[in-house]
Amino acid sequence: MPAAPEKILELKSQAKLTRRKIVEIIYRAKSSHVGSALSAADIITSLYFGGVMRVDPHHPKKEGRDKLVLSKGHAVSAVYATLGFFGFFPIEKLEEYGRDGTKLASHVVLDVLPGLETSNGSGGHGLPLGAGMALAAKQKGEDSRIFVLSGDGEMEEGSVWEALLFAGHHQLSNLTLIIDRNYLQDGMSGLRTNQILDIDPLDEKLRAFRWEVESVNGHDFDELISALENKSDKPRAIIANTLKGKGVSFMENRGEWHGKCPDAEQYEVAIKELS
Amino acid sequence: MRFEAVRAIYENGLKNNSLWFINGDLGHMKTEEFRRDFGARYINGGMSEQNIIGVSAGLALSGMQVVAYSIVPFITLRCIEQIKIDICDQNLNVIVLGVGGGFAYGSAGATHYSIEELAMLRALPNMKIVCPADPPETYSLMKQVLELGGPAYVRIGRGKEPNLPVQIPAALGKASVLREGGDITIVSQGTIVSEALRAAEILSAEGLEVEVANMHTLKPIDREFLLDRAGKRRGIFTLEEHSVIGGLGSAVAEVLMDSDNRPKKFHSFGVDDFWPETVGSQQYLRDVCNISAEKVAGSISRILAA
Repeated sequence: MPAAPEKILELKSQAKLTRRKIVEIIYRAKSSHVGSALSAADIITSLYFGGVMRVDPHHPKKEGRDKLVLSKGHAVSAVYATLGFFGFFPIEKLEEYGRDGTKLASHVVLDVLPGLETSNGSGGHGLPLGAGMALAAKQKGEDSRIFVLSGDGEMEEGSVWEALLFAGHHQLSNLTLIIDRNYLQDGMSGLRTNQILDIDPLDEKLRAFRWEVESVNGHDFDELISALENKSDKPRAIIANTLKGKGVSFMENRGEWHGKCPDAEQYEVAIKELS
Repeated sequence: MRFEAVRAIYENGLKNNSLWFINGDLGHMKTEEFRRDFGARYINGGMSEQNIIGVSAGLALSGMQVVAYSIVPFITLRCIEQIKIDICDQNLNVIVLGVGGGFAYGSAGATHYSIEELAMLRALPNMKIVCPADPPETYSLMKQVLELGGPAYVRIGRGKEPNLPVQIPAALGKASVLREGGDITIVSQGTIVSEALRAAEILSAEGLEVEVANMHTLKPIDREFLLDRAGKRRGIFTLEEHSVIGGLGSAVAEVLMDSDNRPKKFHSFGVDDFWPETVGSQQYLRDVCNISAEKVAGSISRILAA
């Protein structure tokens, strides 16, 4: 069922807030991966604010909760901002990001903030973790769902394909893989993923591994939420077609924003666009 | 040793509904019992070690205890980054069980030898490492590791290794003295402890009083034992079926060099940074690598005489 227009407006407004927070904390920390976080911001907004994931920010370890494994751990700023706005912790906590002596790394680390379920940062680790969580939930008789958010460059890792094979074989129907498909990986080469190591036809490959596959516009909340809420007796893969750097005009679809940090002038422009 | 390790897991799993056993495509003689009594908690994950370690970590993040099992190089080095990040960095209750330590797969060549993994695993924070010497010790230590919980690595032999002539109850983290002697101490671990005992016999016939200690727990190592012996002996020697770089010899040297009680003589017997160019039985390869009882005894005599 399509989301109500007011809900969509609310999600758009939330995603903008999240994007602004991403840019703020990355700029202040002189950190990187702003493009990757902006790419995934609508997906992560859909999971939490779109009502897809059953989580309780006041009881972050509640048994039977749904879980997000951020396999593209370098996009953690998007998760930090979302969890903060969602009430897992005061959003002011993120002012620590990038300061010496804090635990807020530029990759996701288990339990350093409430709501962070794993440590990830090296590509190809998230899907096996998610498969293990999905197995455990099934054995415990829980109906919790496990969402793994992966980059598309990361799909080149062999461990991902081992896990795809495993989840398909074990029919882990409570496991959903979301692929943030922005076609950009190594920022400086100027090449797109299909020029570096082509993973296409990705949908056909995933289906051959016994996954149900759906492709959506990764910036359209209606499409995202509907795809994320769909269930199947197989594991599900959602290929979310996205733009790296989405929301900031000069970052959009530009590979260099994988690793670059905006300078003062760029920061002002970005914040203005996100206001 | 494989049978004893698997028996310990099986027995615990009958009582503990959160214990999982994930097998990397390797037989273990109790497959039918596991299928029947573990149900979903017994999985043959096939030849996909990176995934097996990741899945194990995902299970452990959900409150389970997991033993991940295969031949040493495959379940350790093939997936070393998953062991580092997924298990050790997240500090999870996963026990990696490796079959075929050292040259147990003697005729198979370097692909199946494991003379490097202890160095790498020892460098990982939170990791505990145990190398039992014979079947009864494998059963006992496996039980203790299951009780203590992961992250842990247990390195065992390949099959029907004989029991040691001396049986001392093993306590995790404490060296077992298998033979008393006041002149020198040989510290060893794993199935090659049998060579250390034979080397002691040879040296004893030459009039030397040799203590043999089984340092089955490589990490955390029994510092107290080492520091006590260092000042009391003419020499401390280590013997392992592993590279001399990074394993037991290195661990013992790290403790002793950092103390005021350094031994007058020290030598680490292990594989001296090479792969044998020829293949053969485990005994043959020990000899080629100068870590057989006879070679070690000869070397110790020469070192003490120098």
